[in-house]
Amino acid sequence: MLKVEDLNVYYGGIHALRGVSIDVEQGQIVTIIGSNGAGKSSLLNAISGMIKYNGLIEYENKTLPHHAHKVVKSGICQVPEGRVIFANLTVHENLKMGAYLRNDLKKIQEDFERVYELFPRLKEREKQIAGTLSGGEQQMLAMGRGLMSAPELILLDEPSLGLAPLLINTIFEIILEIKAMGKTILLVEQNAFKALSIADKAYVLEQGQITAQGSASELLKDETIQEAYLGKKNK
Amino acid sequence: MSSFLQQVINGLSIGSVYALMAVGYSLVYSIMNFSNFAHGGVIMLGAYIGLYALSLLSLPFVAALVVAAFGAGLIAVVLEKIAYSPLRRRNAPGLYFIISAMGASIFLENFVVATIGPTFRTYPQIFDSKPFMIGDIALGRIDVLMFVISAISLGILMFIIEKTKVGLAIRATSYSAKGSAFMGVNVDWIIFVIFILGGMLAGVAGMLFGMRYTVYPQIGIITNKSFIAAVFGGLGSLPGAVVGSILLGLIETFASVAGYSTYRDLIAFALLILILVVRPTGLMGKATEDKA
Repeated sequence: MLKVEDLNVYYGGIHALRGVSIDVEQGQIVTIIGSNGAGKSSLLNAISGMIKYNGLIEYENKTLPHHAHKVVKSGICQVPEGRVIFANLTVHENLKMGAYLRNDLKKIQEDFERVYELFPRLKEREKQIAGTLSGGEQQMLAMGRGLMSAPELILLDEPSLGLAPLLINTIFEIILEIKAMGKTILLVEQNAFKALSIADKAYVLEQGQITAQGSASELLKDETIQEAYLGKKNK
Repeated sequence: MSSFLQQVINGLSIGSVYALMAVGYSLVYSIMNFSNFAHGGVIMLGAYIGLYALSLLSLPFVAALVVAAFGAGLIAVVLEKIAYSPLRRRNAPGLYFIISAMGASIFLENFVVATIGPTFRTYPQIFDSKPFMIGDIALGRIDVLMFVISAISLGILMFIIEKTKVGLAIRATSYSAKGSAFMGVNVDWIIFVIFILGGMLAGVAGMLFGMRYTVYPQIGIITNKSFIAAVFGGLGSLPGAVVGSILLGLIETFASVAGYSTYRDLIAFALLILILVVRPTGLMGKATEDKA
């Protein structure tokens, strides 16, 4: 579904992504794990067309346009790190912004209902200004807003960031529910254990390079990965 | 009492035209975070377009107003393409935009001086100069007209911003351009829309001012007042721009009535300094670090 080949990203003199290649298959959860500054967000932002890059990004066998709004139009939506919700708008208006490129009013209405079903908290706060929501609610709003664009592929950037452990569990359950809706998910996470436990496939990104890949269950058992990312000591 | 009401109407009338111009500043500021000082040039050209639409093309008043609005809207968009768009592509700091705006403003003024000429021109007399009488209150026809047309124009703008999809996108982009881009909003399109809207209102304001006073290349200087009003109300906030403008119009009018008409500009600028010192976000503005 999504194929990234030999992707390079530079920020000024910094070589942030060095020849990254990944493959995402339809209906899967693919996760990219790695420490802070490894280039995980850069990878997602390159796919979203938000930053300049060299290399090939193909989506359903077509080269992905290099403009953010055209990427959304082709069916890819990012739920960005730090949520980036519109704090000045109501919850409902935020969701409406998610459907900005769509004109199928009837389907939009159905998606509103689906999102409110998935996140009952948002329904309760429909008319509330989004800036007054708690961190967890804002994360739900960002995910709901992403779903409103009716994407095939969802890029999730650090959905658990800054949330309480109990809430993190909820968010990961919701990610599985979104997968069950038939969506494909590319998940970037620092919480490697959580990410690997729900993913089908995983890549490890270190200093802009893919250093390991495989099925998520394999990587979960891999000793070097356990030591580096899962906090286990094997000796 | 009747003269008091008369002055209130005068204040509202001048304040509402300030508001037409001030929302132009606020729209641009809310999305691009800089004060578009070339706005006065657009108003001046709107005044000339309205003048020639009436005198050379002999259009009826409403048609001339529409022509002035669209003409000024187009000029604002072209201005954005030439003076700001290249800076945006390079992510230039806010100061560059202001310098470019000031340059554009000086260019437009001198362009008109060189081509049309520096003389004062007056609009043809369209409306009876005899005032409306309501009881013993005398209301100038043009004053009433200014207020009504401004109120309708502002009403249309508010409708677009509050009720339409593009309005929602403008509000979203004003909070986070990045968030908007993630939702598939083409930010270039949003900027086009705010310049055409701001420009059209500037055209209307220019024509109203031209009719009330006269037309000359430096008429754009009047936007200093609407800029003060926009800061007073809170840059970036449309309701703030309207409220600030109406208050400034009333303050100026009553200063004149009290016999301080020569102090009028002094009072307006003192107000600007006071606001910046005491409450830099204005009455309803958003808090940002860099007010360029």
